[in-house]
Amino acid sequence: MGDHMMYIPYALLQIVILPLIFSPIIALIGMKIGKRVGWITCSVLTYTTFLLIITGYNIWNSSSPIIEEYSWSIFLFNLKFGFLADGLSLPVALIMNIICNALVVYSIEYLDHRIHVIYKKSSNSLNAYYYSLFMFFATGLMGISFATNLIEVYVFLDILLIPLYFIMDSFGYIDRHKIAMMCFIWGFVAGVIFLGGSIIAYSQIGSFEISELSALIGKPLAIIASLFMLLGMLIKLAVFGFHVWLPWVHAEHPTCIAGILAAIVGIENYLIARIFIQHLFEIFELFSLPLMIWALITMIYGAMLTIAQDDVKRLYACSTIGQTAYSLLGLASCTTFGAIGGVFYFLSHSLGKAILFSVAGIIVYQTGIRNMQEMGGLAKKMPITASLCILGSMILSAIPPLSGFFAEWIMFVGIFGRGSFNMINMLIAIIGLFATFLTLIYTFWPAIRMFFGPLPSSLNNTKEAPLIMLLPLIILALISFIIGIYPEFITRFLTSSLTLGK
Amino acid sequence: MIDLAPWLCWIMPTIGSIAHYLLPKRIGRKRYIVTIGFTFITFIMATTMLPLLPIHGYKEIGGIWLSLPDGNYVEFAILIDNLSIILTNLVAFLSLLILIYSYKYMEGEPGEDRYWFFMSLFVGGMLILILANNFIFFFIGWKIVGLCSFALISHYYSDERKYWIGGPEPYPFQKPSRCGLKALFVTTLGDVALLASIIIIYLYSGTFSFMELYKNVNIWMSEIAKTPGLLTITILLFLCGPFSKSAQFPFHEWLPEAMSGPTPVSALIHAATMVKAGVYLVARVLPIFYFGTWILGIKEAYNFFLIVAIIGGFTAFLAATQAMVAIELKKVLAYSTMSVIGYMMLGLGIAGISSETLIEGFTSSIFHLINHGIFKAALFLCAGVLIHASGSIYITDMKLSSRTMKFTWIFMWISSLALIGIPPLSGFWSKEGILSSCYISGQYWIFILSVLTVAVTSFYVIRLMGVTFHSPNENNSNKNHEHGEASKIMLIPYGILAILTVIIGIVGPWINNMLYEFFAKEFYDIHLLEFHTLSIAHESIIPTILSIVMIVIGGLPAYYVYIANKLSSINIIERYGILKAFHKFLWNRWYIDSAFNKIFVYPILASREPTEKYLEGNMDLAINVGIPKLFSHISNNIRRIQTGILSINMLYALTFFVIILVFVIWVII
Repeated sequence: MGDHMMYIPYALLQIVILPLIFSPIIALIGMKIGKRVGWITCSVLTYTTFLLIITGYNIWNSSSPIIEEYSWSIFLFNLKFGFLADGLSLPVALIMNIICNALVVYSIEYLDHRIHVIYKKSSNSLNAYYYSLFMFFATGLMGISFATNLIEVYVFLDILLIPLYFIMDSFGYIDRHKIAMMCFIWGFVAGVIFLGGSIIAYSQIGSFEISELSALIGKPLAIIASLFMLLGMLIKLAVFGFHVWLPWVHAEHPTCIAGILAAIVGIENYLIARIFIQHLFEIFELFSLPLMIWALITMIYGAMLTIAQDDVKRLYACSTIGQTAYSLLGLASCTTFGAIGGVFYFLSHSLGKAILFSVAGIIVYQTGIRNMQEMGGLAKKMPITASLCILGSMILSAIPPLSGFFAEWIMFVGIFGRGSFNMINMLIAIIGLFATFLTLIYTFWPAIRMFFGPLPSSLNNTKEAPLIMLLPLIILALISFIIGIYPEFITRFLTSSLTLGK
Repeated sequence: MIDLAPWLCWIMPTIGSIAHYLLPKRIGRKRYIVTIGFTFITFIMATTMLPLLPIHGYKEIGGIWLSLPDGNYVEFAILIDNLSIILTNLVAFLSLLILIYSYKYMEGEPGEDRYWFFMSLFVGGMLILILANNFIFFFIGWKIVGLCSFALISHYYSDERKYWIGGPEPYPFQKPSRCGLKALFVTTLGDVALLASIIIIYLYSGTFSFMELYKNVNIWMSEIAKTPGLLTITILLFLCGPFSKSAQFPFHEWLPEAMSGPTPVSALIHAATMVKAGVYLVARVLPIFYFGTWILGIKEAYNFFLIVAIIGGFTAFLAATQAMVAIELKKVLAYSTMSVIGYMMLGLGIAGISSETLIEGFTSSIFHLINHGIFKAALFLCAGVLIHASGSIYITDMKLSSRTMKFTWIFMWISSLALIGIPPLSGFWSKEGILSSCYISGQYWIFILSVLTVAVTSFYVIRLMGVTFHSPNENNSNKNHEHGEASKIMLIPYGILAILTVIIGIVGPWINNMLYEFFAKEFYDIHLLEFHTLSIAHESIIPTILSIVMIVIGGLPAYYVYIANKLSSINIIERYGILKAFHKFLWNRWYIDSAFNKIFVYPILASREPTEKYLEGNMDLAINVGIPKLFSHISNNIRRIQTGILSINMLYALTFFVIILVFVIWVII
């Protein structure tokens, strides 16, 4: 086994920190070369993707996790800055990184256009500003994936808020200043609640390490601590009641960031798997039924809300509410299949949503309109975009041979598996599965409104998007396709760390 | 070679779907010949499997695809048995002919690349679902078929006026993009239910493989049956899948509108792929439920056959009646497909409804599937020619003459008569088989219904042919369209099919017996019949006589009105109020479509505004506006305290000191 290892020193540290280190460098270079600095961003992320693939290769062969630990603070608390790449975090990090990379390439044209629309001029510095901020996303997402303690999780969650705020404020759509603030406050409040939970947990077990969280079980404040942590995640996950920020923030962001935002929202599902399923399972089981019902309500409400949209960006924004709740339903079922499927589904959805949002961005980029009532017949003018939209819709609606299908049925085996014991659970499972049918309505019907039917004369001059915007999306679709025909690429990883005792 | 053949069968058209994209554009339409070539290889590969018949038991080729966390695994494997070999051959053969026909038909149509991509993938998907040895692999094919049908039905996605179907004025038209979407939605609704039941079965059995499920049926089915009602729920969910794919009641409303695509698409959907998938699935799992019902004695398993038989019989009648009044050529054929599929379902239901009719029902149903595939493909291919020639989708506007297109006329008549079941054409034998097994099984209500359907079928088919070719104003036929015989590339495929209908008809009883032996042997080999001696069916002449009488009863009025033109149908209907009401009822498809619209579609559409405005709007207002307002309100109130007047500030300071003082004193004391 050892022969197949390809050892790269500080691989995980590089993956997390490199983007941050490059952030000021990119800012400086960007001042000179403008939007072309996007390619430097892309090459940094390509390098970290390469590192991730090597790491993945090592884990695949040795099936043992890779841990890197660095001393962080030894004064007040004994806090380590650790990175853990195992079967659970690696596929998450890899897919997140690939999405970031694809969207960077996509934004090269898109963002420049956006700057022209808002500021009526071309500006190197604004481009530089954007790409240096973009790097924070990569660091944040990689950090959350590999974090080994709760403080790290909190820090990286907040790192994500920085670019979200500034990019929204500078490049967003309608009411961007207000919504940037809204985004920041919601994210920050959720983060603080999570931090509160972590501190309560620390007061009980004297450690922030995720791997030591299982000591919390049985402690007097265990439930309170878990509730706080869970609440923080649920707010970010935009479950019903806490979802009101998402349609605004998600829809008004530049579409390249909206794609990442879907991943940011979804990564809470990963955190639930990491913290609760792996280490606080006994406590999580107590919340199982209420969470499932909550997820179910979110799924159905999210679907209804999505169906109600006429604005193409808001449409895909609202669909995230329901889609991430699917994963929550799987995780909350507290079964091996449900957990694996839940995380898998989140990855698949992130791929699909990145494609769909970018498609929406392309339409806005090329036509300048967002209202689907004014669209139609665009497939004639932009056939590749239309195909990508259908492919993205297929991922979300779990149509094979794309990744959504395997994720969905594996997840539902778990949900049903919990449910075959009594009627209420059975009902949840069946309603949940039928709720996935609503996905089909809110993905394919809008696709048809946009791309099929007669072409309004006002759109007669619409052109296909430039290849540089399409190619990253094609690659994302291709990845989804590869996972779709050989799902073992994901499931073998997830199975190795998410198999529950029962 | 034999092991490789079934793999190549589905791989070839699946890969072939992108072949024409890879070839240089300058070759022009010849690229599509390459695409057809891939299906041709499939056809050859399929025929190499024919000598294997009859197979003893079954054969599985493949390996592990995905290991599951509970230690089970999903296989990537192919199942070869009599059923899959027969169907693979049928699908490969029909698809090949349809593709050859399309080469000419699609010339100059928009979006040809897309058309060939989806046609080829469609064939590939269908073969995947036929050859798959487990539910997951099967389901992938199943979904691909659904997706391709969506894409092909809405092929003319720009919704130009000339591609609308439905009507004529003042009746509403349907646009291709909506028709495709409807098909996708309805079939996916069934798929979701099917997936639910597959998962439930998996949780009890730990396997997705058809044969494993069959072998362990005594364990898992008994386990499910321990929870009362669960097996029935599972069966109901399961059957939603095949019913929606095969357009059976209550999932049938998508099919009449599914002919908005190019005609070869309709031919493929109706004859070779898609709607046959449902019948195949029911046939595939039939031994499992038969075993459960008759050998394990699980009462709830019997519901499987009961539901299949009743829905099949009812749909056969329902669709046939609607075909009597439809005036769109392809719509009449679509109704007839639903009706005939209903017969097949009926046959499969009957196979398990009594322990004695297993092989009769099964065989005649599969035989009917083969025959229907052949004659329905011929009918649709003819229909394509007629629509091109006349420039109209309505049979009442076609005014074609049998003289100018003699061959098409002959071939279409042959196929039509086979559809009615006129002896000795192919349809006769299989239909007799289904009717007689229905009669033997003692399900007289269903039998009566299906015999009635025979009369209705006879009526609408003769009406179809009469109105199309023998209308009274045939002589002053459509001047706008100079129509002659179709091009050879189009004529030969349906010529072959029509001639095949005659040949199969002549040797019909022999083929029927052959299939009977195949399946009987197979069922012995898998021990399905071990416990029962195969009772030789008490042959009865009654169903045959009845059905011939019914053909005459239905056919004669149609002949008088539409071929001999002795009476005018419009006059008859106008004269009798009840007939008029009946006509309206049928024309509106028993009001089922509008009922579904009222129950499902309109409420969803109507919910859009209130959801956005009231539910989301108010929640948004409360949280995103309300909470900030609350804070600013509080801060405003607090700000009011800070007046900036020195004396008042001094007062605050005084109060503060007093409080501190009181506190300190209280602590000391």
